[in-house]
Amino acid sequence: MTAQARHDLARQALGVLAVLLLWHLAAQAVLGSYMLSGPVAVATYLAEHHALIGRALWVTVQNAGWGFLAGNLAAILLVLVVALLPRMRVIVAAIALVVFCLPLVATGPVLRVLYGPGPGPQITLAALSVYYTTFIPLLVGLRAAPASWFDLMRLYGRGAWTTFVQVRLMAALPYLMAGLQIAAPAAFLGAMVGEFTGAERGMGVLSIRAMRALDVDATWAIALVAAAVSMLAYGAVGALARRLSHGRPDILMATAPERARGNAMLRGAGLAGVTLLVVLALWWVAMEAFDLSRFFAKRPDDLWRFLVTAPGAEGNRAALWAASSQTLVQVVPGYLAGLALGAVLAMVLVLVPWLAGAVLPLAIALRSVPIVTTAPLIVLALGRGSAGTITIVAVMTFFPALVACIQGLRQAPGQALDMMRIYATSPLMRLWHAQIPAMLPAFFAAARMSVPAAVLAVTVAEWLATGRGLGALMAMTASTSNYNMLWAAIVVVAAGSCLGYALVAWLERAVFSRVAPEQLRG
Amino acid sequence: MTRFDISRRHLMQMGLGGVGAMALGARGVMAQETSVALQLSWLHSVQFAGSYIADERGFWADRGLSVRLDAGGPNAPVEPPVVTGNALVGISAADYTASAVQEGAPFRIIGVAMQNNPFAIASLPDNPVNEPKDMEGKRIGMPLANMPVLQTLATLNDVDIDRIEVIPTQYDAAPLVAGQVDCLLCWSTDLPIAMYVQGIDSVTMLMADFGYTLHSQTYIATEDSLANRRADLVALMAGEVMGWEEYRRDLDAATDLTLARFPDAGLDRPTQIEQARRQVPLMFSDLTDANGFGWWTDDTVARNIETLALLGMPVDAALWDRSILEEVHG
Repeated sequence: MTAQARHDLARQALGVLAVLLLWHLAAQAVLGSYMLSGPVAVATYLAEHHALIGRALWVTVQNAGWGFLAGNLAAILLVLVVALLPRMRVIVAAIALVVFCLPLVATGPVLRVLYGPGPGPQITLAALSVYYTTFIPLLVGLRAAPASWFDLMRLYGRGAWTTFVQVRLMAALPYLMAGLQIAAPAAFLGAMVGEFTGAERGMGVLSIRAMRALDVDATWAIALVAAAVSMLAYGAVGALARRLSHGRPDILMATAPERARGNAMLRGAGLAGVTLLVVLALWWVAMEAFDLSRFFAKRPDDLWRFLVTAPGAEGNRAALWAASSQTLVQVVPGYLAGLALGAVLAMVLVLVPWLAGAVLPLAIALRSVPIVTTAPLIVLALGRGSAGTITIVAVMTFFPALVACIQGLRQAPGQALDMMRIYATSPLMRLWHAQIPAMLPAFFAAARMSVPAAVLAVTVAEWLATGRGLGALMAMTASTSNYNMLWAAIVVVAAGSCLGYALVAWLERAVFSRVAPEQLRG
Repeated sequence: MTRFDISRRHLMQMGLGGVGAMALGARGVMAQETSVALQLSWLHSVQFAGSYIADERGFWADRGLSVRLDAGGPNAPVEPPVVTGNALVGISAADYTASAVQEGAPFRIIGVAMQNNPFAIASLPDNPVNEPKDMEGKRIGMPLANMPVLQTLATLNDVDIDRIEVIPTQYDAAPLVAGQVDCLLCWSTDLPIAMYVQGIDSVTMLMADFGYTLHSQTYIATEDSLANRRADLVALMAGEVMGWEEYRRDLDAATDLTLARFPDAGLDRPTQIEQARRQVPLMFSDLTDANGFGWWTDDTVARNIETLALLGMPVDAALWDRSILEEVHG
C-alpha cells in the first residue's frame, strides 16, 4: 500500500466515524421520541434478526436487480432508436419523460391488476425508477465527442455505423456509467416501494410493519441496510466505471443537436402538439389493449367529462388548481436549492479533493436512506410547514446534481488543464475557465432529469407529512375510489414535469448560445 | 435453488393430492377444484387469521374451492382487483364500498366480519380523550383521507370541529409519543397495540361507542359474481365462517398458525396475540351468536346508512345482499 492510499483510507475511515458520531448524537438528542434509533440499538436489532432481514433483503435485491437490468436495457434501446432515427428524438424523449413522471400511487394498483400476485409490479417499478436517469446522460454522451473525431472518421472514409461504434459509443461510456451509478440505489428504492402494492415479503414489507408497530430500532435497521446496499451498488458500479474508462477525455466541446430550421417557436409548438397527441393515443390504446376497467383506469375522455362537461366540473377544476399551486410553491425552491447545493459541493470537492472521502459517503447515505423513513424525521426537525418539504425536495435533487457535476468537472480537457498549470494558473481560475464550462452539459442534464425527481419528492412529502398539495390529493382520492380526480392529478403532475423540463432545456440553449455556441452548432 | 424448491413443492402437492384422492376415493378424483382469490385489505397478519384457518383445515378444499389469499398494502386498494375479477371477493369496509359504488363500481356487501367499527381516538393518560367533547382544543394526528370520519364523529356528538387542530400524519404512533399531537385517529387494533407492546400506556376511545356505526372488514363481490358464481361465493363464505368460528375457539392456535405461515412478514407474537384478542369483541356479538358469523339485520343496516349519509355517501339498503350468508347459515 502506498502512502497516498493509506492516507485516503484513513480519511475515509475518519468520514465514517464522523457519520457514526453525528448519528449517535442525533439519536441522543431525540431520545424517547420514537423517531430515530442510535447505532448501538440498530446493531443489536440486526444481530437478533439477521436471518429475517437476510431473507427479506435477498427478495428485494433480486427484484431490484431484474428491474435494474430491464430498466437500463430499455434506456439503451430508446437511445439506439434516437441515434438511428434522430427525427424521433423529441417525441421519444417526451414519452420517456411522461412515463417516468407517472406517480407510484397510480401505477402501483394498475400494475398489480395487470400482473396479479408475484414480483411483477416490484420489478417494473424498479425498472421505471432507473431507465430515465440512464436515458438522459446516455443521450448527452452520444453527442459528447469532439468534432475532430467525426472529421477523422470521415477522412478515413468510415460509415455511420463505424462512427457510431468507434466514436459515439466510446464517448458515451462515461455518461452511461454515471447514469448506471445513479440507477443502482434508485432500483433498490423502486423495488421497496413496489412492495407497497401487496407483496408478501421483502424490505418494503418489513419497513411498513416496523413503522406501524412503533418499532423504531427495526425501522432504522431496515432503512440503514437499504442504504448500505444502495451505497455498495453505487460503489460497485463506480469501480466498474473506473476500470472501463481510459484516462481523461481529450477535448470536450461536442457536436450538437440539429439546428432548428425556420421559426424555432413555431416548430417547438408543433412538436409539443404532436407529442401531446401521441401521448394521449398511447394512453388510450394501452388501457384498451389491456382491457382495463374504466372504474379505476380512466381514459382521456373520462377526464374531459370530469373537468369540463360534467355538472361539478368547475368545483373539480378549483380543487385541482388549489392543490397544484400549493405544490408548486414548495417544489420550485427545493429544486433550485438542491441543484445549487449539488453544483457548489461538486466544485468545492474539485478545489479541496481530500474532502471527497468524508463528504461523498455522507451524501450517498443521505440520498440512499429511503425517503419514507427520513421524511418524518426531517419534518420533526423542521416542522410541518414549507421548510420540511423544501428540504426533502432539495435532498432528492441534490444527489443526482452532485454526481453529474463531479462527472462533468472531470470532462475538462486534459491539455487545457496542463497548459493552465504550466502557466501557474490558480485552481480557482482553472475551475472558472476550464472546468465549469466543461461541467455545464452534465449540469443541465442533471437539472433536466431532476425535474421529475423533485416532483416525486414533493408529492411523497405531501402524502406522508404535510397533507397538502397534489401528493395528499392523490393519496386521498385513491382511498375513496375517486379515480377521476386521481388521474386528473396525474395529468397535472406529468404535464407540469414536462413543462419544467422544457423550461430547463430552453434555459440550457440560452446559456450555451452565449458561453458555448459550438454546443448548438449543427 | 428456487426452481428446485418450486418443483419440490409441486411434487409434494401432487403426492399429497394423490394420497388425499385415495383416502377420499372416487369423490376426490372426480371433484374439480375451482381456483378463486380473496383480496385482503392489508399485509398478512392475525387480522385475517380466520381465512388462514379455513385454508389450512381444508374448509374450502372440502367444498371444491382453492382460495388464493392476496396480501394488501399501503398502495394496494382492494376495489380494482375485485372490479376486474382478479379477485372473486375483497375485504373492504362499508364506507370504502359506498364511495366505490358512488363512482360506479357494481359492488354488494355479502358479509360483515367486524360488526363494530374499529376506529378509535387514542391518547395518553395524562391528557386523555375519554369522550368526543374532550377533543376540542386538542391537536389530532391522522391521515387526511380520514377527515370525513372525524367530521361525522363531531356531528354525531355536537363537537365543534373548528376547535380541533388536525395535523396530517401517517398510521404511526410516534407523533403522539413524541408530543407532536395530543391524540390520534386510528384503529383500536393497531396503534394502541403498538404502544401497549412498547410499554406505553394509552387511552382508547372506541368511536362505535359514540354513535359511529359502520360495518368494517366487509366482504364485497360484484353483482355479476352474485348472479353467475353463487356456488363459489357460498363455498368461500362458508369456509370463512367456519374459519372464524375456529379462530374464536382458540386464539393461541390462530396466532401460532399466522406466525408459522408467514415467517418472512416480520410478525411478533406479543403484538399478534394482543391484536387477536382485541378484535374478538369487534367481530362477535349477541347478533352473531344468534345468527352466525358475518350476519347483519335491517336495523344495523339502517344505522349504517345514517352514518354513511353523514359521511356524504347516500346509499340504500340494497347495497347489502344477505342471500349468500342465508345459504351458508340456512
